[in-house]
Amino acid sequence: MAKAAKTSVEETPPEEGVRRWGMVIDLDRCTGCQACVVACHAENNVPVVGEEESARGRSMHWIRVERYWEGEYPNVKARFMPLLCQQCTQAPCEPVCPVFATYHTPEGLNAQVYNRCIGVRYCANNCPYKVRTFNWFRPQFPEPLDQQLNPDVTTRSRGIIEKCTFCVQRIRRVELDAGAEGRDVHDGEIQPACAQSCPSSALVFGDLNDPDSRVSQLARSRRAFRLLDFLGTDPAVIYLKGGETNV
Amino acid sequence: MADAPLLMSLFHKSTDTAEAIDALHELGVLDHKIKVITGVPYPERAIGRHVEWLRLPHIVLAGALAGFIFGLFLSVITPHLYRLDVGGHPAVGFPPAAVITFVFTMMATIVSTFLGVLWEMDFPEFGHKYYHKLVTDGHLAVLVEYPPSLEEKVRQIFEQHGGHHIQRPERQPL
Amino acid sequence: MSDQTPIAGEEEMAELSPDLRDEYEGRLLLAQRKDWEINEAVLRPMMETGPRFWIAVAVLGAIVAWGLYAWGYMVYYGLGAAGINRPVYWGLFIATFVFWVGISHAGTMISAVLRLLKADWRRPITRGAEAMTAFALMMAGLYPLIHLGRVWKFYWMIPYPNNRFMWPNFQSPLMWDMVAIFTYLIGSSLYLYLALIPDLAMARDHTKGWRYKLYRTFALGWRGTEGEWHKLHRALGIFSVVIIPVFLSVHSIVSWDFAVTIQPRWHSSIFAPYFVMGAVYSGLAALATILVVVRSGMRLQEFLRAEHFDALGKLVMVAGMGWIYLWFAGFIVEWYGKDPVIMELIHDEISGKLAPFFWLQMVANVLPVILLAFRKIRTNTKMLLALTLLVNVGMFTERVLIVVGNLQRNYLPFDWGSYRPTWVEVSIVAMTFAGFILLYLLFSRIVPYVPVWEIKEGRLRYSLRRIGRLLVPTAAEIE
Repeated sequence: MAKAAKTSVEETPPEEGVRRWGMVIDLDRCTGCQACVVACHAENNVPVVGEEESARGRSMHWIRVERYWEGEYPNVKARFMPLLCQQCTQAPCEPVCPVFATYHTPEGLNAQVYNRCIGVRYCANNCPYKVRTFNWFRPQFPEPLDQQLNPDVTTRSRGIIEKCTFCVQRIRRVELDAGAEGRDVHDGEIQPACAQSCPSSALVFGDLNDPDSRVSQLARSRRAFRLLDFLGTDPAVIYLKGGETNV
Repeated sequence: MADAPLLMSLFHKSTDTAEAIDALHELGVLDHKIKVITGVPYPERAIGRHVEWLRLPHIVLAGALAGFIFGLFLSVITPHLYRLDVGGHPAVGFPPAAVITFVFTMMATIVSTFLGVLWEMDFPEFGHKYYHKLVTDGHLAVLVEYPPSLEEKVRQIFEQHGGHHIQRPERQPL
Repeated sequence: MSDQTPIAGEEEMAELSPDLRDEYEGRLLLAQRKDWEINEAVLRPMMETGPRFWIAVAVLGAIVAWGLYAWGYMVYYGLGAAGINRPVYWGLFIATFVFWVGISHAGTMISAVLRLLKADWRRPITRGAEAMTAFALMMAGLYPLIHLGRVWKFYWMIPYPNNRFMWPNFQSPLMWDMVAIFTYLIGSSLYLYLALIPDLAMARDHTKGWRYKLYRTFALGWRGTEGEWHKLHRALGIFSVVIIPVFLSVHSIVSWDFAVTIQPRWHSSIFAPYFVMGAVYSGLAALATILVVVRSGMRLQEFLRAEHFDALGKLVMVAGMGWIYLWFAGFIVEWYGKDPVIMELIHDEISGKLAPFFWLQMVANVLPVILLAFRKIRTNTKMLLALTLLVNVGMFTERVLIVVGNLQRNYLPFDWGSYRPTWVEVSIVAMTFAGFILLYLLFSRIVPYVPVWEIKEGRLRYSLRRIGRLLVPTAAEIE
């Protein structure tokens, strides 16, 4: 639990007591069902580009489930790894942006300012996880998709980068509600769409700076590792190593 | 002095020109009343003239300094005015600041060199000036301003040293 | 008519054996010419524009127009019209950008470095080289705009106080890029123009009509007084010194666009010198190509002689050696390191999908170095043309391999991809090539292509000096 939840997060100075949003992804629990991907598209108004563009490498998932095969047929195993923006502390994507369209929030989120982005795609090149997606065309929401656009999230224009925000709109809403009620945000009260929709609860979201939060406890697991840790990006997404339970 | 008599003579050879100028000096014509116009850059001393002192290096240095300060301002001060943090980097780091400061220093140096030399040459200066078109065909032109009493002697000097087209200079539109 | 023409006295010339006399006549700065003959030899081809010239202009203009249409199409529909994708976020545009910045390097190299070194063979080619720099940079400067997702917001990179309370990020190599290229463009254009003023005055004295008005305006009232010459010399001297670090920094900064990332094979400290050397190599080769073409197109055999191609060919060869050396210095470290992603990329290049491009790059960049070691090949304009064109095929391939090839692989094999340019990219790249040639063509007919005053100055420097039984060309210290 955060020790000092302020009413307005924007005014929180970067000091102790600040939250560090993080996520634990238990690879043992992931079944590769892609529910997180669908939920993310719905929550964040992420356009669906279609089969053809997807085959050309233009898919726009903010979270995707990477599938790796291990072994030779017939002794093969499929391994699934949900991959979303790792919200790196030392985010390589941030310093390279010429116009500060991506920067680091006090809560450690790697924010993307859509309105500011001019589309040089440098951040996407420097992202070792390749989780930044680019609007190659004008995003389209053919009927009836336009009826289910989330009013809390802006739609984006063509020619800009967009990416996972840890559902910042949900974080803000809970924080504001808690602030209005004069209480702290409970652990587990905030759930990004992907974590909420995961049927096997493989994705756990919470405050890494709170040692008692569930995400912190899981992160201390012996199975914990961070993707491409050797690059020194210091991600906020912690994976729990999968064993033999994968399909 | 627009009224003082002027004479222009063309020469074929730089040696003749230099000798003619020496003779003019002996005659008592002041150095700054003589102007040599050439189509090829002869060193001043080759035709017996003094080397002009230039302010250009100072202009360039001042420009470089201004560029350096502006570069520092942009790369060191302004990031604090519009503070946004990016992953793991300080608001101001040495390498980026060094690059930006360097480039702006160079830009200002280049621009000040150009503007400085135009300023030193009083350019652009359109209008009618004493000139002869044969200059760019390889002739050296000497333009001299002298007291009216020396008219004959100046002409003589020019003629002795192989000057041709000795005449009152024409103002030509440049 | 004037005194700098008798390079050797009549009696000395008479003394020379006929073949030696021919040899000296073959040297631009020694040949017996009058100043007005030089003026005329420079001015005449400018005024003559045959039907071939206008056909070339029309064809090139059509290509440029088509490229502009492709650009407009892409701006309207989005960057998806190009072939770029995830993970190849940068494609042919950035590769061509690097190529053009590279081409722009030889201009300064030839002009500034050789001016400082007082190498006299630079004299007839400095202007062509400087113009190449300026136009190549103009073409390069288009790409950062073209490749923007929202080109209409490009001015957000310019630091000016605004009501959005937003400021560009000076930590981004793209910002360095922008200011560096802008600086280099300003620097090389002013350098080109400054050295041009006396020749514009010369052209003014010999033309009528619209040309006269044009030259008169841009000659700024130049007469050629000793003060003007003195100041011009000082300014050019300062320019030569100042522009060298700029030209080195520009391509270093372009290389840092790649090298500061953590993309395997881009993240390399050798990139800056490697890019600079590659730039000099491709730039010098492009200059040689251009000079051969312009020489035959404008019949400038008088000014561009075997001695110049010989020297230029040597320079290309040396730059090529430097490129090979730096390429190898980078490669050996990568190969030895056995980093899995880098090994994958290397295998892809040497024996995989990229192998044809890789081997084309190696052959096209190494073969000319070997062949240009021979004087006969250097001075044979046809061979020189073929070899220097080959160098630039190789260097273009190298840029594509660096940008596109390396982006296809990264740390997570799931995100590997491939890239194929679309008609939009090809059209836009063709547009910049055509645009460059078009600008250069027009430039060569509007501006004295050969720096007349520099040649005359060089001729002033040269004379024959007796050493024992020999009469040898000697340069005087007059600069």
